Amino acid sequence: MIVQFVINGVISGILYSLLAIGFALVYNTTKVFHIVAAAIYVFAAYMFYLFTATFGLPIIISALVAVILTMGLSLLTDVSVYRPLKKRKASNNVAMIASIGMMTVIINLLAMFFGDEAKIFDSNGSPFLLGEFIITAKQMWQLVIGAAMLILFLLFISVSNWGIRFRALSTDSMLYETLGYNNSNTRTMVFLMSGAFIAIASCLTVYDRGVDPHIGMDVLINAIVAMILGGTGRFGTCILGGISLGVLQALAIYQFSSNWQNAVTFILLLILLFLRPQGIAGYKQRTV
Amino acid sequence: MEYLLHIGIMLCIYIILVLSTNMTVGMANLLTLCQAAFYGIGAYIGTYFLMQFNLPFVVIALIVMLATGLTSIVISYASVKLKGDYFILGTLGFQMIIYTILYNWIDVTHGPYGIPGIPSIKLFGVWSLTSIYAYFFFSVVLAVVVALIFSRLQHSPYGRMLKAIHTDELSAQTLGRNTIQLKSWAFFISATFASLAGLIYASYVSYIDPTSFTLDESIFIITALFIGGIGSRVWGPIVGAAVVVILPELLSLIGLPNAVADNLRAVIYGIILIVLMFYRPQGLLGDAKLK
Repeated sequence: MIVQFVINGVISGILYSLLAIGFALVYNTTKVFHIVAAAIYVFAAYMFYLFTATFGLPIIISALVAVILTMGLSLLTDVSVYRPLKKRKASNNVAMIASIGMMTVIINLLAMFFGDEAKIFDSNGSPFLLGEFIITAKQMWQLVIGAAMLILFLLFISVSNWGIRFRALSTDSMLYETLGYNNSNTRTMVFLMSGAFIAIASCLTVYDRGVDPHIGMDVLINAIVAMILGGTGRFGTCILGGISLGVLQALAIYQFSSNWQNAVTFILLLILLFLRPQGIAGYKQRTV
Repeated sequence: MEYLLHIGIMLCIYIILVLSTNMTVGMANLLTLCQAAFYGIGAYIGTYFLMQFNLPFVVIALIVMLATGLTSIVISYASVKLKGDYFILGTLGFQMIIYTILYNWIDVTHGPYGIPGIPSIKLFGVWSLTSIYAYFFFSVVLAVVVALIFSRLQHSPYGRMLKAIHTDELSAQTLGRNTIQLKSWAFFISATFASLAGLIYASYVSYIDPTSFTLDESIFIITALFIGGIGSRVWGPIVGAAVVVILPELLSLIGLPNAVADNLRAVIYGIILIVLMFYRPQGLLGDAKLK
């Protein structure tokens, strides 16, 4: 019984990891608390829904279209708001408030067009049986695609040229520019990738659970907790944090009930902030 | 007329709420996302005392404010010394915990079913505020008193100390001020007044459920504050509260259907917020920069 819960926990942990990577890419490199990621997540979900349910495209193609459109939206948030604010030397908190503003605008526009009620995707496919444990077809998609994306990301961030640039930018953006690298090109790349990861997390999740305009914030907060839990200032730690958080939540459901899942998560967050703010494997940062 | 009075009462509640938020965000430079949690704690504790005991308003208000203040100490102990984003995260976590408790601890809070039939405030234990006129004058008096308290607070030695922290925390520390303690007090005062707003709200509406005290509500309060303006002037928060309370009523006067009007007003707030961050990050009437 408990193994079944752990399996479910690992799968939802993978989804948290994907979203946490989407958030951390922006947060680590630009230091902006990228709350609008919640709205980007919901946007991806509705685009996915629009192309599968309304236009009747095959799932893979509509997911791809959704990912591409979401990458565009993610870049748009940077180009239209964050960069001009940075040019005006606005502080990070100001950028965060602007981010809250963007989130409100996007989520409510989506709610105006699609309505406030939840949309569900048609379910099909028979569950897989691993011995006595059950994995539904949709969970299998989440597991396979999610894990593949995480492995690709680890490779990308540790060995590829762009990955190294991302890490450099997140360590010291001033020095990065001083050494002659183009900050704005890298930012473009960061926001495109962040959008892609948010969209993948979103499509995989809502294909299983359906979508309504207000799911974004809850999932995003969980992903942020996952990022902090894994360790701040780095990228790969999101995966560590995401999967640990998923398993912990699954155990909380096993022990208490799913109602208290959020309480467990945030008490964990407060304890973590109090005792070890840099997370399990984060760099200890000097607070300014 | 009663409709206008209703808007007036809601406006007074929001004025108290936004003024209390200005204490942390504008004066102590602590960007919090848990004001709705204190608002909710005030409403629920207030409801308990209103329903169980026949006490004068002043006594209930003091009990509620003190109890909420004590919970604020728990969270400020853990989070005030955290910097920037970590503090925001800590308050966000607290907001989510309180909401989860209000929603799921059904034995005590009735969870999603809410608590109906909350009795109205009794001013001196006997004189119950039954008519909407009485409520209106009562809440106006209360809002004015709170506004006066906050405007006096700016010029008190404590207010000046907060201003010093806001301008340059490091210098204040160098001059021997315990900035963490001063900020914790700001957090405490802010929480107590937010809970007062919750108490008035609960007794006026006479029904509460957890959906009034969500993270979205916290974000809404922050939006109101930034539209009005952060800093030492009390007019900023008052104008901000007025904008967010009156704008939806204007939209419904135009005759938009309710569902669309709700989303539309949120879109308008969002756009106002973004534009303000570009051209006036301190808000319309604010005089302190957000650091």
